[in-house]
Amino acid sequence: MTSPSPEPRFAVRNPKHLSPRVRALRDLYFEGVNRTWNNEFTCWTTGTPWDVVYDELTYHIVPETYPFFDPFRASARLAAREVPLPPGFFRRSLIERRAWFIREVMVDHVPHEILPGSLLAGGRFNILASRCFNRAEARAYERAVLGPDGARPSLLRFHRHGYGNAGATSGHLIPDYPRILRDGFRGVMADLEERYAALPSRRKRGREGRTLSAMMIAASMPRAVASKYAAECRRLLDKGDTTPPRRDELARMAAQLDRVPHEPAKTFWEAVQSLWLTHMLVMSDENYPGPGLSFGRLDQYLLPYWQRSLEAGEEREFLKEILRCFFVHANTVYDAMIRVGGNQGITAGFGQLFNLSGVGAGGRDMTNDLTFALLEVIDEMSPILEPKPNVRLHQNSPDHLLDKVVDMIAGCQGAPFLLNFDERSMAGLLKQAEEAGVTHLIHPANVHDYAAVGCLENTMAGNDRSGTVDINLNLLKAVELALTGGRTLAPAFDPVLNTELPPENDAPNTGDATRFTRFEEFWDAYARQTAYIVARAARLYEKSEATRAAYCPTPYLSCLVGGCAEQARDITQGGAALSFVTVEGVTFATTVDSLLAIRYLVFETGRCTMDELIAALRANFEGHETLQAWARFRAPKFGRDEDEADAMALAVMELWTAEVWRHRTLSTGRQFRPGMLSWNYWVGDGYIMAASADGRPRGQFLSNAICPTTGADTRGPTANANSVGKALGGVRQSATGKQLRNLLPNGASHTMTFSPDLLRDRVQRDKFKAFLRGYASNGGTALQVNVVDASTLREAQRRPRDFRHLLVRVTGYNAYFTSIGRELQDEIIARESHKRL
Amino acid sequence: MAQATPLVLEIQRMSTDDGPGIRTTVFLKGCSLACDWCHNPESISPRPVVVWFEERCMACGACLTACTHGALAAREGGALVRDRARCRGCGSCAEACPALATERLGDETTPAALAQELVKDLTYFETSGGGVTISGGEPTLFPAFTAATLDALGRLGVHTALDTCGECSEAVLSDLAARADLVLFDLKLADSAAHRRFTGKPNERIVRNLAALGEQIRRTRRPAALWVRTPLIPSRTSDIANIEGIARILEETAGDQITRWELTAFNNLCRDKYRRLANDDRSRPWALAGVPRMTAQELRACEAAARRAFSGAAEVLATGATRAGGPDGRG
Repeated sequence: MTSPSPEPRFAVRNPKHLSPRVRALRDLYFEGVNRTWNNEFTCWTTGTPWDVVYDELTYHIVPETYPFFDPFRASARLAAREVPLPPGFFRRSLIERRAWFIREVMVDHVPHEILPGSLLAGGRFNILASRCFNRAEARAYERAVLGPDGARPSLLRFHRHGYGNAGATSGHLIPDYPRILRDGFRGVMADLEERYAALPSRRKRGREGRTLSAMMIAASMPRAVASKYAAECRRLLDKGDTTPPRRDELARMAAQLDRVPHEPAKTFWEAVQSLWLTHMLVMSDENYPGPGLSFGRLDQYLLPYWQRSLEAGEEREFLKEILRCFFVHANTVYDAMIRVGGNQGITAGFGQLFNLSGVGAGGRDMTNDLTFALLEVIDEMSPILEPKPNVRLHQNSPDHLLDKVVDMIAGCQGAPFLLNFDERSMAGLLKQAEEAGVTHLIHPANVHDYAAVGCLENTMAGNDRSGTVDINLNLLKAVELALTGGRTLAPAFDPVLNTELPPENDAPNTGDATRFTRFEEFWDAYARQTAYIVARAARLYEKSEATRAAYCPTPYLSCLVGGCAEQARDITQGGAALSFVTVEGVTFATTVDSLLAIRYLVFETGRCTMDELIAALRANFEGHETLQAWARFRAPKFGRDEDEADAMALAVMELWTAEVWRHRTLSTGRQFRPGMLSWNYWVGDGYIMAASADGRPRGQFLSNAICPTTGADTRGPTANANSVGKALGGVRQSATGKQLRNLLPNGASHTMTFSPDLLRDRVQRDKFKAFLRGYASNGGTALQVNVVDASTLREAQRRPRDFRHLLVRVTGYNAYFTSIGRELQDEIIARESHKRL
Repeated sequence: MAQATPLVLEIQRMSTDDGPGIRTTVFLKGCSLACDWCHNPESISPRPVVVWFEERCMACGACLTACTHGALAAREGGALVRDRARCRGCGSCAEACPALATERLGDETTPAALAQELVKDLTYFETSGGGVTISGGEPTLFPAFTAATLDALGRLGVHTALDTCGECSEAVLSDLAARADLVLFDLKLADSAAHRRFTGKPNERIVRNLAALGEQIRRTRRPAALWVRTPLIPSRTSDIANIEGIARILEETAGDQITRWELTAFNNLCRDKYRRLANDDRSRPWALAGVPRMTAQELRACEAAARRAFSGAAEVLATGATRAGGPDGRG
């Protein structure tokens, strides 16, 4: 026996009330690599010697994968099985080839298995499929990606010099699933045929005709896949070794698969079946398992089917069982690279998001019975990673919803869902509509139908690709460049070879900062450098975007996104009616605090000269610890509800977002828009970026999304939230009442950790509810709540095996606490309850 | 002697244990009692006090240079020693400290400026039925300042609470209480001798003030609510006899005018405060160092005793965080 350890203040969450069926499915899932069945990538090739099976562009925003691009490419190609091609294959257009190839793999090559006991069909969908290039296309693609000025070398330079990253990324949108439930792929096909027929024959042979033709091939895939699963259900029935209730289920499943997703769904079961098959095939089409491919307002568009089935006499419990199976299936995305990385590939949050509740037309609250059924399923299944719930709250959210939400938060280590706040979010989308001239597509009468994708990124649903994680820009880089007049402040390194990179001097010369006599001069230099870093990010992104547009079509996804058929343009070519690229500003608070520190130390108090400050930063504060302490502890900070510091935050926000709106992709015409999500970049890039004037040495984390820097938040949650609200644009008094402003249409990730004491009883929970209501009228767009005390976390560090299921929210995604790095663990512990480091 | 303008010790945002809803609590420096369990020992003296956070200290020596009164010395190993007899609390050491290791507690302000700071969470007051609590120290030591602050907050439409130990003149209490929406009235010990022993003063005046306050509410309905609070301090106030004794006093004084009787659980989070104040050679150690938080069971037992003993209309409840175990299961 080991010595008795202090009792953790919160029991680690365990699932409850699961049926034997779902328990078995869930247990099977957590067996990970020991499972005989899994959804690991299978690889498929045309067999040409120049074939490309792994397209790295979609991973250009994942720095952890940079060293592995070549091994991944090579091993995917080696592992790929050859698919026999029809005669004349290479005479078809690239988009038609790709549509045919994906369809062929999914219908005739990937096995179609029914997970034991599951009420839904749709198992293996993770594939890496040939890009179907002919020789010339392969050569051009390789040059565009790997050439001296190609996407990859440009990206690596950008990343290693601390600018961030950028790449044309898959997923991160909400397909028009309600249309499939309503019309089936039959409706999609009819529409495509009509559009194709209407084209004059010359245009049939051109881009439009080829695109529509490829989309028709893709639109025929779901029916063919469903019929394979129907056959599998019947095969299991014929085997005769199943028990009677299961036989009945399999028979019903087979009958349903004969109909959906090709036909409109009639029952709830059919609707969920149709939804799942339609959804999983998007991941097959994009060769991309899950990230950000989101469901939208599930409790709204599934509600008619839910009600119809209840009225037809189905048990509510049985309908929930269908949802539980849906959850299990959604988690199999993680199998993609099950044998790569720690914790069997189930460490990260991929983010198939869905929204619950929120306002409808006229500001009416849309909470319904299905909202609660889904919350119950989350509660019963937790901790589980996918799909990720996002509860939309607003100033008039009903008490019974907030009660359920707060009780669930109290019962978990971290909120089992993210909270989105409608008023602030919608204000941002309406601003976007004005900035981009799309008020016919986003306006006060429809903006309530927005939903979040990925972690928390707000978009419209069904006709919108906003490239929500495509550009991740370290705003702090502009401060660094303003200090040096555009030069490298501290050496950059190649992390693999561990060699120093040659210094850069690409940025504009904004003058010798040591000669500035007023802070305004520094601000002007910073503003010019901000324009530069945004423009540089746009140039880098263009390489990736243009390459994807030319060589990596996704015709099946295009069938599901409004605007593509209408324009006969693939979604990768900007076919979505709403086509944006989001620049996610990273390091916001570190940037604001650095500017505040420069003003305070150099221009206000004369604590040091600019020379001394620059020398201290170059030395990573070694030998300058006193100055570092002044910067860290005595200089003002964002996040304390202090008007002067928060005014700086707003100035930074206005400046960089204005720069973002100036840009549009050249190849596809997608308008840039701003947001703030930092995924895990604020951790990794902290090792890349030089020391910053706020006292942060190299190697310490940057600030996360819109959160104050760790340790700066000393006035508690309300002050923190007020600062965030002010940085987003604050509240304006208008003739019609209070108007929230929001400069970030994408939204901004805001994480707060609360002590369990704050949720200890009903009275305290009511206060927390009131906090959430206050946040809706004064805070940010999205909030994730961790409820855990430091002692529990320290205990988990000591005994990781006993805390395998301890979930925490990191930055828009859930992660198992014991699976994240020690530094990040320490960071979360430090952040607990707003304690100063 | 009451002074005109108090120093502000701290402003606590999102305070959830000092009255209804989400509140901002302002703690003034200076107290008329000196309880031996005091959770805010730095609030007892009305004068500014300088505290030292050992874990933040970089041992840079800036404070030693900055002190012009010869009050500071560095001990072997870097510990800072402050001679309280020489220290004027001027704060020049804190001003020189880059790491916030030395802080001067006690900020000067005006009622108008203070009120402006206190209403920053107005949104949250509105959604929670909360407001501002003026606490101490002891706000009744500063009648004019407290009255002006309460009035300024009242004009802004903010719910106000006055947190008092009741050790003051009846006239001051009556005036301030009338300006507040809620009075949080501490009654710690039923036995006057014990009261004198542990707080420095007997309780007769406090009991009389409670009776007068009850009478005032009966007559004028101001303040609109009266919460009596009894801190549950192990081996001081948490014994059943004391709880029963307080119940008797409540019945005999404000009685049915009491809206709520709250028993607040002992917490031990102030241990470090004593340590920080203790960097001079003459400071006393905290009398309750080493005493753990109460268990949920002990807390419930106190609550049950209070409910049995008190026949008034008030809601009787025990609150506060307890030892390991998280939520106490009350819905």
